[in-house]
Amino acid sequence: MTDQSLAIRTGGVTKVFRRSPAVSKLKLEVKKGTVFGFIGPNGAGKTTAIKMLMGLLKPDAGEISVLGLDPQKDFEELKQRVGYVPEQHLEYRWMRVGELIRFTSSFYDRWDEQMCRQLVQQFKLNERDKVKWLSKGMLAKLSLLLAVCHEPEMLLLDEPTGGLDPLIREEFLDGVLRTVGGEDQTVFFSSHTISDVQRFADTVGIINDGELLCHLPVETLLSGTKRIRLVVESGKLPEEAVIGAVYCHTSGRESLLTVGDFGPAAVEKLKSFAGVKVLEVIDMGLEEILKDYIRGRRQSI
Amino acid sequence: MVIDPNSHVPIFEQIAANIRTGIAAGVHQPGEALPSLRALALELTVNPNTVKRAYETLEREGLVVSRRGVGLFVTDDAVNIARGKADQAVKALFARAVTAAKASGLIENDIRGTFEKALKDVSAGGDKP
Repeated sequence: MTDQSLAIRTGGVTKVFRRSPAVSKLKLEVKKGTVFGFIGPNGAGKTTAIKMLMGLLKPDAGEISVLGLDPQKDFEELKQRVGYVPEQHLEYRWMRVGELIRFTSSFYDRWDEQMCRQLVQQFKLNERDKVKWLSKGMLAKLSLLLAVCHEPEMLLLDEPTGGLDPLIREEFLDGVLRTVGGEDQTVFFSSHTISDVQRFADTVGIINDGELLCHLPVETLLSGTKRIRLVVESGKLPEEAVIGAVYCHTSGRESLLTVGDFGPAAVEKLKSFAGVKVLEVIDMGLEEILKDYIRGRRQSI
Repeated sequence: MVIDPNSHVPIFEQIAANIRTGIAAGVHQPGEALPSLRALALELTVNPNTVKRAYETLEREGLVVSRRGVGLFVTDDAVNIARGKADQAVKALFARAVTAAKASGLIENDIRGTFEKALKDVSAGGDKP
C-alpha cells in the first residue's frame, strides 16, 4: 500500500508517563476514506494515542504521519486539515455559543458559514446561550460543529458520545455522517459504545495497556472470532489447543475457547485432541470479542 | 429496514439480507431503484462504505444492476435469486439446529420427527414459531 492511500500511519509509537508506558510500540495504518474505531478499556491509552496523532503530545519514540504530515513539526497545517473533538468538550465556557463559533472560526483559513448555520439549526443550538449552561448533549454537538466547519479531511473524535443518551448519540452520529460524507474523508474515533463502533467503523483496533491487540476490518473480526464450546474429559484442555487462542475459560469438563482464526482447520485441530469433543460454535458480537481479547491478555499476565 | 448493531452479523450483510428478503417479498420490485448510498446510510446512521459493500454484494449476486450515474435497479431475475438465497440461509439455520440436536445426543430419526412436528405446528399456527 502506498503512503498516499493512508490517512494515518504510525510505527513504534511509545509514550511513557512516570515510567509506565501509556502507549507502547503502537503501529496503526488507517486508509483514507475509511472509518476507524478505536476500542479498549479505560486507561488503555486511547486518549494518549489520539493526542499524539493530533500533535498535542510528543511521543517518546516512534514515527507518526497524519495526512502525510508530522504532527509535531507541521502542527499548524495539521490543525487546518483535521477536525478534533476532544474527550473533554470545550474550553472557553464563559463565552456565548455565537461568540465561541466566531472565535473558533478566526483560527481557520477556511470556514463554511453555510454549513455552520445549517448545523446550528439542525442541532437546535441557540447562539445566545452561555456555553457553561449547555447540557452534555448540546456541548457534544457544539464541539462537533466547531470541528467540522473548516472542511477537514479527517475527523479525530475522542469518545465523542460518552455519557450521551441513545437519541442524542444518534443525532451526533448523524451529524458526523452529514458533514464528512465525502469519499476521501477519514474518521478516527474512540468509543465505549460498541454498537456505535460496529455500526460505524470499517476497521477496528483493540487496545489494552497501551498495546494494540488487533487491527482488523470489522467483518473479518466478526467472522474470524468464535467461541467454541468443548467437552474435555480430563477437565484440562491440552496446552497446544490453547496456544494462539484469544481466551480460554474452563469450568469442570466444559471449556469455552475463543479463537481468532476460526475456520474448518481450527475445528479439525481441536477434534484431533484425544478426549476433546466439539459441542458447538458460538457467534460473538463485537462487545463479547472485545471483552475476550482483554480477558485473554489479563489471563496471560 | 431494521439492523441490529449488537449482532455478530456484519452490518453490510444485514443490509444485504434485508434487501434480499425485501425483494423476495415485493418491497422492492424489478425495475425499481434502491435508495441512494447516502440516503440509506443516513436513514440507518451507518457508514456509507457499509451500504456500498452491501450494494456491491447484491450486484455480484445479480439482484441489482447499476446504471452509471443513475443508481442501482432491481433486476428481472431478482425475485428468483433472492428466493434461492433464502433457501441457503434456511439451510444454514437447519444445520445449526442439527448440530445442536446431535450435541444433545439425539439421533437422526428423533431430529426428523422433531422437524416434522415443528413444520406442522408452525403451519397450523400461522407465522408463530
